[in-house]
Amino acid sequence: MNATLPAPTLTSSLSQTRFPLLDLLHPRRFGRSALLALAVGLAAGSGLVLLVGLERWMGTALAILVLTPVAVGKFREDRRLFGATAMLLSVLLTVQGGHTVEHIVQWAQYYLLGWPMRQANGLLSAANAEWVHFVWNWGVLLAVIGLMRGGMRNGWAWLLLGVAVGHTIEHSYLLVRHYQVLAELRQMGVAGVTAQGLPGILGQDGWLARSPLTRNSFLCRAPGLTTANRIDIHFWWNVLEMGMLLPAGHVFLKRNH
Amino acid sequence: MRLFRRYTPLLAQCILLLLFSACAAQPGALATAPAPTTLAPVSVVQIPLAARQPCADRFVSHTLPFATGARLREIRTYESNGAGLSANDLDGDGDLDLLFASIDRNSAILWNEGGLDFHVQELADPFTRSAQIVDVNGDGLLDLVFSRRGLGGISYWQNRGASAAERFVLTPLPGVESYAYALAWADLSGDGRLDLVAGTYNTELKQHGIAAPETDERAGIFYYEAGEAGYTATRLSPAAEALSIGLTDVDGDLRPDIWVANDFGLEDGVWRWGDNQAAWQAIAPFAQMSHSTMSIEWGDIGNDGKLAFFSTDMNPYDTSPGALARWLPMMNALEEPHLAGDPQRMANVLQVHETGGWRNVAPYRGVEATGWSWAARFGDLDNDGLLDLYVVNGMIASNLFGHLDNGELVEENQALRNLGDGDFAPVPQWGLGATASGRGMVLADMDGDGDLDAVVNNLRSSALLLENRLCAGPGLAVDLRWPGSANPFAVGAQVELVTSQGVLRRDVRASSGYLSGDPLRLHFGFAPQSGLQEVRIHWPDGALSTVTELLPDTRLEVTR
Repeated sequence: MNATLPAPTLTSSLSQTRFPLLDLLHPRRFGRSALLALAVGLAAGSGLVLLVGLERWMGTALAILVLTPVAVGKFREDRRLFGATAMLLSVLLTVQGGHTVEHIVQWAQYYLLGWPMRQANGLLSAANAEWVHFVWNWGVLLAVIGLMRGGMRNGWAWLLLGVAVGHTIEHSYLLVRHYQVLAELRQMGVAGVTAQGLPGILGQDGWLARSPLTRNSFLCRAPGLTTANRIDIHFWWNVLEMGMLLPAGHVFLKRNH
Repeated sequence: MRLFRRYTPLLAQCILLLLFSACAAQPGALATAPAPTTLAPVSVVQIPLAARQPCADRFVSHTLPFATGARLREIRTYESNGAGLSANDLDGDGDLDLLFASIDRNSAILWNEGGLDFHVQELADPFTRSAQIVDVNGDGLLDLVFSRRGLGGISYWQNRGASAAERFVLTPLPGVESYAYALAWADLSGDGRLDLVAGTYNTELKQHGIAAPETDERAGIFYYEAGEAGYTATRLSPAAEALSIGLTDVDGDLRPDIWVANDFGLEDGVWRWGDNQAAWQAIAPFAQMSHSTMSIEWGDIGNDGKLAFFSTDMNPYDTSPGALARWLPMMNALEEPHLAGDPQRMANVLQVHETGGWRNVAPYRGVEATGWSWAARFGDLDNDGLLDLYVVNGMIASNLFGHLDNGELVEENQALRNLGDGDFAPVPQWGLGATASGRGMVLADMDGDGDLDAVVNNLRSSALLLENRLCAGPGLAVDLRWPGSANPFAVGAQVELVTSQGVLRRDVRASSGYLSGDPLRLHFGFAPQSGLQEVRIHWPDGALSTVTELLPDTRLEVTR
């Protein structure tokens, strides 16, 4: 995937602007169609949820589906104007931004609405499955590697890579544990029980907090890292990723465009 | 500027990590020992302790001739909660006897004949929960008190001092009329008499036909103040899921407060006596607490004069996939809404005082997860001068664990050794990991040899006595007597053993833990090289006594 990315082009002047990320993310000529698609998607999605009783995640998925053609058009234009690496950055910022919104919604469902942990699944609840998280985070990691190979190499990018690697390891661990627990449940003849939402490496009851290898060590004393619940842990993983991605992209565009 | 730019990413990440870490910092309050005002002369008898059996570096398990729940064909919630026990010297022979409550048969006294030999005396008092040995009427004889399942209320067996068969007579407690699950005794009013706090388990009352327990005037948390003619009741709260009650100084005002451990989403209740209002006031001293608080325990775990509070909850100690799979169906079924600002977490909590107040340090000290935990006790199990922790666990409920054999979640009881730096570490090599479903538990020196044994009232299995055969240091036992007072066993006294290696502190309690009573006999362990300097006794009325010229491996009988 990465080998096919051409070198950054100098077909625009993103580096001249104060906030090149805003220019990159600007819908430009797709502004009206994006707004229209958003309005139609939201109206259709929420309407079907409210009137027909469609599940919330289906309504959300519908809205995203309606927006997708416009987004694809916009990303193609990004590639034409700024090159493949900038386009990849644009895609990652968009989807990861949406992903962060999903985590904020989960946080609000848990803390503000008082929903139980297992029901605070965000807007795309059906996508809150371990394999989806696993695929997503490997995707993000590969995209970050692609961006770095395409020229986005700066201090922030290296930090971003570290965070993305950590987050991917966490979700790989979670996926393995998820299937191990499901196998145990099957062996006991238990069906219809979700094993979603188990502790991972970090957080309350996670590996760091409970492993005999870390017991009574300084690692167990890290507040938050060994005490935060799953919603907080993954909220902060994404905040960190976005927190690194934005300046990494900014510096990249300033230097290369 | 260039340097700034270079290090800005690193700085930003550090700030984010710090923000991330700040989630756990919590405030709290302080507890200290009372300041003495007068000196009280005492007479002291030092009795050599029994010789120890050859040490084996582990506890040795003995089955006791008592079992609760064994007659039930199927155990469901809340028979699943089992029953408690108490240990004290009921006949004055120097050996600690045992009192067991039972959910499905008569309660029983197990008379200690010495050499860990017991004979059973049944009491015609079936279907009991909490078992307490306490001198209710201040006559110098230890009485028996039970809470009963469902609508059975409280039963009081007065000790008439007669021969064994006729010693205990069922007697009314005037003014005590509520239902009860958890009980606790202490002198809360400061008049010397022992007052009673009783709490109901409203969920169980619903099973027994009380549709809305909070509207029933016999349900809730009750403070019964002892007086000349009986008890005066004050209902502290109609809402109650009381599994345990601790009477200890939480707010540092040198008076015992009332801490009720509630099950489910109902937060624990804590009340302090407000002198200005001349009434019990609800307070919220803890920023975090256990969610389904099963029991409360306290002790000076750092030998620094500060109490730490420990509460138990349901949290698997084993996070292997197999263990999680055994828990998961129940966890999914029991999930409750999460209220905004809810301080409860489904885990054990260890409250220690730090600047700003009480803070839960259980996650950092290795005590957050001990399984489906019921009774927890601090006690110096290895006689090294530090309070260790023992927790009994397990669950039997066919409606929750139908996916497991016999509806039973089998777990190993957890023994955690105090490492001296604030941390605890599991010590499976001590042989305390019994897998019977433990409920009530006491730590008491049952063979009088200067180390603490454990006695567990198991559900659907025989009770266990775990004899301490660790190769450990010497011990010292202290019995306090205060004849002529309304509190002849000095419940509420605080005792310090001053050694060359530090000061060890214990308090005389009538009841604590899960549905259980504490031995009035205090136990101190210490390292062999510790020089014993003196014992300081802070009597409940604030008077101070000191005892010097101490010999290790003796029992002090101190009479004021």
